[in-house]
Amino acid sequence: MKKILIIEDDKLISSLVQFRLKKEGYETHLVCDGNEGILAIDSYLPDMIITDVMMPFRSGIEIIHHARQSQPNTPIIVLSSLGEEEEVVLEAFNLGVSDFIPKPFNPNELAIRVKRILK
Amino acid sequence: MSKRLHWIIFGLFSLIPGLSQAQEDPVPRDSTGFYEFLKSQREVPGLSYRYIFSEKGITLAYRSDSLFSLSKTDSGYVSKPFADFSWIDELQQQLVVDSLMYQIQLELYSQPKSIEVAQEYLSDLIGKGDYLVKVQEDLPDVDLVSLAAKMPYLPVQKFKLKFMSDYRLLAVTLIIVFFFIASAAMIISMLVMKANKIKREALQDEYEGIIIEPLTTLLFEKGVKDIMAMDEAEIHSFFPKNLLVKELYQHVLIDRIIGLNKKMKGEFKEKLKALYKKLELDKVSIKSLHHRKWDRVTMGLVQINEMDLIEALPEVKKFTNSSNFHIRSRAVSALLNLSEHVDFKALRDQTYPLSLWQQMNYLRIIRFVGLHKDLNFETLLDSKNQSIRVFAIKLVRILGRVDMIDRLISYEETASDEEKIEILETYATVGAHMESRFINVCLRSSNPSVAAAAAKAAAVIGDADSEEILLDLLQSETDFRRKRSFLRSLYKLNKEKFEMVTSGDSSSDLLEIRNHILDPMLQDV
Repeated sequence: MKKILIIEDDKLISSLVQFRLKKEGYETHLVCDGNEGILAIDSYLPDMIITDVMMPFRSGIEIIHHARQSQPNTPIIVLSSLGEEEEVVLEAFNLGVSDFIPKPFNPNELAIRVKRILK
Repeated sequence: MSKRLHWIIFGLFSLIPGLSQAQEDPVPRDSTGFYEFLKSQREVPGLSYRYIFSEKGITLAYRSDSLFSLSKTDSGYVSKPFADFSWIDELQQQLVVDSLMYQIQLELYSQPKSIEVAQEYLSDLIGKGDYLVKVQEDLPDVDLVSLAAKMPYLPVQKFKLKFMSDYRLLAVTLIIVFFFIASAAMIISMLVMKANKIKREALQDEYEGIIIEPLTTLLFEKGVKDIMAMDEAEIHSFFPKNLLVKELYQHVLIDRIIGLNKKMKGEFKEKLKALYKKLELDKVSIKSLHHRKWDRVTMGLVQINEMDLIEALPEVKKFTNSSNFHIRSRAVSALLNLSEHVDFKALRDQTYPLSLWQQMNYLRIIRFVGLHKDLNFETLLDSKNQSIRVFAIKLVRILGRVDMIDRLISYEETASDEEKIEILETYATVGAHMESRFINVCLRSSNPSVAAAAAKAAAVIGDADSEEILLDLLQSETDFRRKRSFLRSLYKLNKEKFEMVTSGDSSSDLLEIRNHILDPMLQDV
């Protein structure tokens, strides 16, 4: 079973994403701030990371930096309301994220993208 | 004389109320009176007395009696000296009972003296002030301690009087007391408020925790129709009835649903809106429009707007001209966003000036709704509010509504200077070349801002008449900035005429402006 780490400070959003991904048969782990996210990347060793950008303590960009150093091959999906800000999107893609989903988003669409990337 | 004076002084310092006795010798001269006086004094320094008995009648028991402690003398017996004269009556009573003959011998410093000497001695003591006569007062029969407790303590009384009579001290004391009371009240109220806030936040966190699961389940397991078809029992299986009636729980639900609505799209948005109505949260939002606090009203308007509560629009309309900036801004936003045919009437009739923030906010909504609805904002030009009319002209320009140019042309005559500036900018932006006549009229405006705006527009859509007017204005204009504005327009309109004006023996101002305009590095400066 593939393991997905969800780093999102909005508990309701992360719960919705978790619910949807569990339905697809993935094992998920939720954390709600940047610090916990970085710790979870090293301890949980996920097959995929889904992260927000604006979060307490550490930003999503810092998390991507860390993930790229410790697990360079783990695919990352960025889920953010900063999707319309070109600079953020470009920086995320420069760091090698697999996908960028702007909020508002559709959890079903996210599930399809996750499935496609992990295939 | 000096003796008399002593008595006067004694009388003055005497604590005896009523008539002063200082005028007379207090020591009675008769023996009975003198003994009574001594009894009343109990003890007099240096003065004592003994009982003298003849041998007759003195029994052995008497001789060994410790009370009298008799001593044998040549003629009989003598008692020990007594200093307390108040015992006289008691001792005599016993001697009378025992039928004993006796005499009282007064002694002065243990030396037997006559009654007259004793009287003189006492008078002298009193006279010199070495002895104060004790006065027999009519003491009450009650306990003296309890009476004393009821008596005000003199130093305190004095302090009270002094304190109350010093108004500055009293005022300062009152201010300090008030300060302490106010501080205590504030601290207590802050503590109570803080405690309430903590309690409320804890409860809010708890509610947020318990609504995640039912919301998630509903959004993924039910369709819009399923949600609409849910009966009360089913609804309450997700959201308990006892919690749904609680105001805080309702607010947490509203916040979370609206938060999700902003972050989700597609069918999920529809499900959230359906759920909002199913949980009757729309009624809560509409109800908050009648709340006495403006922030709650604003919140209600935002909720109505976010959750597309079209049925609340008649209520929302009532707030479009509210005296509260936030309320009327949110009300107009909701109306523009939700009305079936974008309703500009409420905005037209607004009497308060539009701020730049409001204009930006409304423009964002108008742009969004303009994608799928007709925008007939022509009515805004009929507004009595100048800021609304200016906004309408800006809308023509920003939205590129060339079809509205004719309406602007008909409006030119009545337009204010501020509106004329916007119209000129709009003509230049949309390229309304047929409107050079209006530009030429404005070039000659007495308002420098209008003339400058006209010059700017003339650079884009001016004609030959504009060139002539600009040349004419340059000859009479003295202001450097306006000269630069006119020359810049002339340069864009006709370079030959520009060269003609600025070459040769032109003034230093014109030469400076010419150099500036022709320098490619300073084109945007």
